Amino acid sequence: MSEFLRILEDEVQIVALLFMATVYTIRLIWMFRFKAGKEVTEPVGSPRVGVAYSMMNVAMPWAMESARKNLSFYVQFVIFHLGVLMAITATLILPYWPEFFESEPIVRIFQLFMGAAFAVGLIRLIRRITSPVMRLISTPDDYFSVALLTAWFAAGVFAMPNQYEVSEWPLILFFGMTTLFLIYVPFSKISHYLYYPFTRYFLGKTMGHRGVFPRKKGGEKPAGLE
Amino acid sequence: MSDKTINISDVVNLPLDLKEQKKALEQKSTAVLEGKVKVYDPNKDNVKNLLEMLKNRLSRQIVSSLVGCVHCGMCSDSCHYALARPHDPTMTPAYKADQIRQIFKRYIDWTGRIFPWWVHAKTPKNDEDLNRLKNIVFGTCSGCRRCTLNCPMGVDTATLVRLTRGLLTELGIVPEGVFVVDKDSWETGNQMGVSQEDYLETLEWQQEEVQAELDDPNFKISIDKEDCDFMYTVNPREIKYDPRSIGYACKIFHIAGESWTMPSFGWDQTNFGLFSGDDKLGGYIAKNLYEAAKRLRAKRIVISECGHGYRSTRWEGYNWAKYKQDIPSESVLITLIRYINQGLIKVDPSRNPLPITYHDSCNLARSGDITEEPRWILERICTDFREMYPNRSDNFCCTGGGGALSMVEYKPLRMEVAKIKADQLKATGAKLVCTSCHNCVDGLSDLIKHYKLDMQVVQILDLVAEALVIPEKDEKK
Repeated sequence: MSEFLRILEDEVQIVALLFMATVYTIRLIWMFRFKAGKEVTEPVGSPRVGVAYSMMNVAMPWAMESARKNLSFYVQFVIFHLGVLMAITATLILPYWPEFFESEPIVRIFQLFMGAAFAVGLIRLIRRITSPVMRLISTPDDYFSVALLTAWFAAGVFAMPNQYEVSEWPLILFFGMTTLFLIYVPFSKISHYLYYPFTRYFLGKTMGHRGVFPRKKGGEKPAGLE
Repeated sequence: MSDKTINISDVVNLPLDLKEQKKALEQKSTAVLEGKVKVYDPNKDNVKNLLEMLKNRLSRQIVSSLVGCVHCGMCSDSCHYALARPHDPTMTPAYKADQIRQIFKRYIDWTGRIFPWWVHAKTPKNDEDLNRLKNIVFGTCSGCRRCTLNCPMGVDTATLVRLTRGLLTELGIVPEGVFVVDKDSWETGNQMGVSQEDYLETLEWQQEEVQAELDDPNFKISIDKEDCDFMYTVNPREIKYDPRSIGYACKIFHIAGESWTMPSFGWDQTNFGLFSGDDKLGGYIAKNLYEAAKRLRAKRIVISECGHGYRSTRWEGYNWAKYKQDIPSESVLITLIRYINQGLIKVDPSRNPLPITYHDSCNLARSGDITEEPRWILERICTDFREMYPNRSDNFCCTGGGGALSMVEYKPLRMEVAKIKADQLKATGAKLVCTSCHNCVDGLSDLIKHYKLDMQVVQILDLVAEALVIPEKDEKK
């Protein structure tokens, strides 16, 4: 392995990660500077249960009509985010535990997930370009973020065998993109995972407090029967 | 039935109508003179004022919804405006919320301040832009919160729309109807400008009606009676257009042997602050009611049938008024369940034989906690109850929510998007649609007429009153 690739996989990634962590810390401090609204009413339900329900919503496609009625979109969502998880895991394993990728089945599993996520990324990009609704609400950041991730997945597929003795370029491309990704993410919509706990927490707290979450399906005991 | 599609630019470019504002100034309206209701001033830097107010009104909840949208577009399938107008991408909830999000990004957020074009961050240029913003947030969204509950991220688009409405209300850039109702609310303490004399006379009239029906001269609707079990609060629409509903409720309370009263002031459980986005007005109206209950030492507050009234009085009002809840409050539906369950009143379902479906008010089902209560009652007071699909917190708005009924300029668009609700109603095959909201009664009635549906709108109290077995009277029969 060349010194360039070694530094790119190790020190450069650490610096980029530290940069991302610093920006996120500042971002969180910024978020917490805004006062949280206070609830002064007597509860009907449990805010804690509401928060838990709200946070778990992502894993309950049956609980939301938008997921229930667009199951293929939900499956795409799952594949895309599993791809992200696999790619991030790979960036952490490759430099410090390269033997892990000596197993061909493991390499194939990672490639399968990232390849599928790449396909979903392409579908999403096409949807964003062709649908009038998506075009209207999309910003350059939206296009770039999806394109960046999609390209990153493709780079990941080629980098996974970790055969730097054959060619270093797939690894240089993958880690080069990871660096760009880590620096760009805090300023882009990709950082939505940082906000997800906030939006879901507040919605869950309010709706749990009011007894709206967990959502009723029928057959629940009405108030007044106590 | 009309298949005509509205040209959305006609809606978005509707001019700011100032007739009512001028009239209020000429008549020296106290609410206007005291600065409670704002009138539009073209000489002021309204854009700058809006930006300043936005900065001051941001809470952590609102900021998280402003930064949390990933523009996935899932919300478009949940909005009745977007579903009824699939050819019109501007109906997408994310687009509507982006109108304020863009301003936030340009003025407050990071990336938008440095690279505005990259995230579509922008500031309104002039009052014309603010007027367009007004038409989007007041005219193309009923704040039903269906998109909120269907957002994978949990972004509360309805709250962002309400925030924007509130900013524009402070600048007097509002639909005429909103201005009038806000002004009436401040000046009379109720949103329909009902005078205390009219209110008391209507209650007296209903008292006489019930006395005659029960043949009981001792029946009384007591006003400002202290130490009762509960204080009953109503919608001004009941006083003005549907006083029978008050008579029905009071008759039921009387037969159940209840001790109740109604306040002479602070009786309006509705709250236009919810629709205009004016938290100060919301707090004022709600506080009037809470103070009345406290003054009368009522043990509970019972809220008559009204979706936004229930939401405002039971939930939002305390927060707007920063008033720690000290007296329990409940919907009249819960009171009715208690009566039926404890045998305090008897009902005969055979008196309501027509097929009935139930429309969930958005404010009761998505922003309140009331979904099973009306169904429990309906199953006991009618013989043919049919569910509407989707229902409960997935139900579609009656299209009259968010104060839409007071904004006549947007009615053609409202009727066009009402197709979603009309199709839902038609599919049930019911002859009666029951709802527990006066706003929904008017919203549904409008669309039933527009789409020529063979259906009538009723409320739970109407049906309970019909099914009510009055002991002495029925024995005589």
